[in-house]
Amino acid sequence: MIKPFERRRRITVQRIKKKKSPFIYKSYSKKPKHTWLKKRKAAERRFRNAGLISILIAALFLVSLVFNIVSSGYSAFTGTQIKLSITFQTDLVENDAYRKIIQNALLDVFPDVKTRKEKRALFVLTSRNAVYELRDLVAQDPELIGTKKDIWLPAASAVSIFYKQRLLEESQRIGKINGDQAKWITLLAQSQRMKVKFNMPFFQNGDSREAEQAGIFASTVGSFFTILVCIMLAFPLGVATAIYLEEFAPKNWITSVIEININNLAAVPSIIFGLLGLSIYLNFFGMPRSSSLVGGMVLALLILPVIVISTRNALQAVPQSIRDAAIALGATPTQVVFHHTLIYALPGVMTGVILGVARAFGETAPLLMIGMVAFIADAPKNFTDPATTLPIQVYLWANNPELGFVEKTAAAIMVLLGFMILINLLAVYVRKRYEIKW
Amino acid sequence: MAKCERLIRASLLACTMLSVMITVLVVASVFSETMRFFSNVSAFDFFFGTEWSPQTAMRADQAGGSGTFGAVPVFLGTFLVTLIAMAVAAPLGLFSAIYLAVYASPRFRLWIKPVLEILAGVPSVVYGYFAVITMAPMLRAGGEMLGLSIASESALTAGTVMGIMITPYVMSISEDVISAVPKSLSLGSLAMGATQSETVKKVILPAALPGVVSALLLGISRGVGETMVVVMAAGMAAKLTVNPLESVTTATVQIMTLLVGDHEFDSDKTRAAFALGFSLFIMTLFLNILAVIIVKKYRERYD
Repeated sequence: MIKPFERRRRITVQRIKKKKSPFIYKSYSKKPKHTWLKKRKAAERRFRNAGLISILIAALFLVSLVFNIVSSGYSAFTGTQIKLSITFQTDLVENDAYRKIIQNALLDVFPDVKTRKEKRALFVLTSRNAVYELRDLVAQDPELIGTKKDIWLPAASAVSIFYKQRLLEESQRIGKINGDQAKWITLLAQSQRMKVKFNMPFFQNGDSREAEQAGIFASTVGSFFTILVCIMLAFPLGVATAIYLEEFAPKNWITSVIEININNLAAVPSIIFGLLGLSIYLNFFGMPRSSSLVGGMVLALLILPVIVISTRNALQAVPQSIRDAAIALGATPTQVVFHHTLIYALPGVMTGVILGVARAFGETAPLLMIGMVAFIADAPKNFTDPATTLPIQVYLWANNPELGFVEKTAAAIMVLLGFMILINLLAVYVRKRYEIKW
Repeated sequence: MAKCERLIRASLLACTMLSVMITVLVVASVFSETMRFFSNVSAFDFFFGTEWSPQTAMRADQAGGSGTFGAVPVFLGTFLVTLIAMAVAAPLGLFSAIYLAVYASPRFRLWIKPVLEILAGVPSVVYGYFAVITMAPMLRAGGEMLGLSIASESALTAGTVMGIMITPYVMSISEDVISAVPKSLSLGSLAMGATQSETVKKVILPAALPGVVSALLLGISRGVGETMVVVMAAGMAAKLTVNPLESVTTATVQIMTLLVGDHEFDSDKTRAAFALGFSLFIMTLFLNILAVIIVKKYRERYD
């Protein structure tokens, strides 16, 4: 195995033997040995550094991923508002012409805007959803009709990004903010008519066509419904399977086939489970498309093997003496399992379940297959409502080229990663706090 | 009492059977659709045809509306992206595993392990986003400097990001395998005066080779089945090319594009997705079983 060194040594020895003078013998014997050792040490260093560098590359990648997402996403947590003095003219309110009311208010601020083109540019400064906010205000307080009042209205997302980051160059390139608009925004800002506020809609709303109103609430609720269904199915089934295989099943070829089967299930690509959901749940059983029920059922298949494997490992770790002691005291085999073995294995089981949930939480592909890719503006109320999940919301927004959605995507990813880290910390906590070392 | 005992046992058995049924269900549902697909389209055309354009198969009576289902470009694309991914993941994963198992101080391990675990836990849709937003422009700029034109949706982008995604996976399996090599082997080598790296290269790795191979096989199987990164970062059009700078498509991307959206379910177009899915299933199953067999053989040698 250490052939190269041997060959090298033999050569040096031969060379040494040829020399007759003891002087030369000395100098020769020293030099080759020295470089040889140097080379070996250099090879050692290179190898070691290669390992260190590859770890650092992986770590660097994580850092750049986090940095990228945080730097482009943090701004989505704040939104910009514009203060306008709104006159609630009775006839306009009655005709539901809130758009006109806002337009008048904007023209009040910039009276020298005359041409149609300029007006059109001016009117898109406020969000299209500002109309609904005004309508809600009037519905809440009908006495507003006929009065004049200063009201903070949400700005359009392009305006918001421009104001928050002073992105004149970039916005112009994208063609969202033109020179006039930039001037107006600057004027508004100078007259204290603009402010940056915590972006509550992001946590309260569902998806929206307007970037400034789009939020993650609906998708988060959808995620929780889906995960709930998934746990309720996969947890009992997985634990029961593991208990049977580990504690009761006779060791024969059938059990070993089942074992191989379940281990393989863990490595089946997730998209295959999507195919199964599509053809069996949706087409064969006719379950409601894009509902969290079907989503949870698909994810349950996905994490079932994870739960089975981790439960079996946890059960295996419980020493045989516990079982023997229980049996010696007269417990039946099921009593041994449910009163003793399973209790001791529970922390390990829980850790496995939590890690499975973490995997299900981030899963996207199989859910897209069963139609959870829909545009969902309202949070689902029950398990059969059309729903979407957080990773799918990320996917949908990532496909939206509008500038306002780029920061939303990154912000949604931040929330998603936040949930992931929480779930993983929970697993670490359970393991550290409750696990018994035998 | 005995009755209750039997009841519990029977229900546990029933649960086990249900879990096993899932595999049967997967195979049955995907396989039956695949068979129906192959009754309309010849299997030879599917596996050896070089033109993939299922989107033209809208109506049966339409002129030239049968669509062509030659899956070679799709599989070639899958292969190419996975190859690039493994070219990234294999060296990164192996070297990190060796460093962690042999060189790293306990303190360093304590710090670096969670980082790699986070990397493994990041959802694939996040990697997809990263590929589109950061990796693609970066590679394109790098390519321009070298005088290459890289498509914005290139196999290289998808492959690189997928490789980074698989790295922690390859690493954790290889580390287990390397740590499982009996201490006496490496200590013997060190006692003979070999350096650490010589010991790793000439003693530990040859001993752990089957395990490392199976780690790589499992990595490949993950890469082949990975969906979101390629859906977001690789292309849709099936091209017969092995140029990593061009956009390619993969089996998972095609399954997604054929099935997402409201299509009528009973057409060759949607069934083609099932045929692709079934091939994918068989491929990953083969890789996984191979990996398990290799590991088992290897475990027996040292236990």
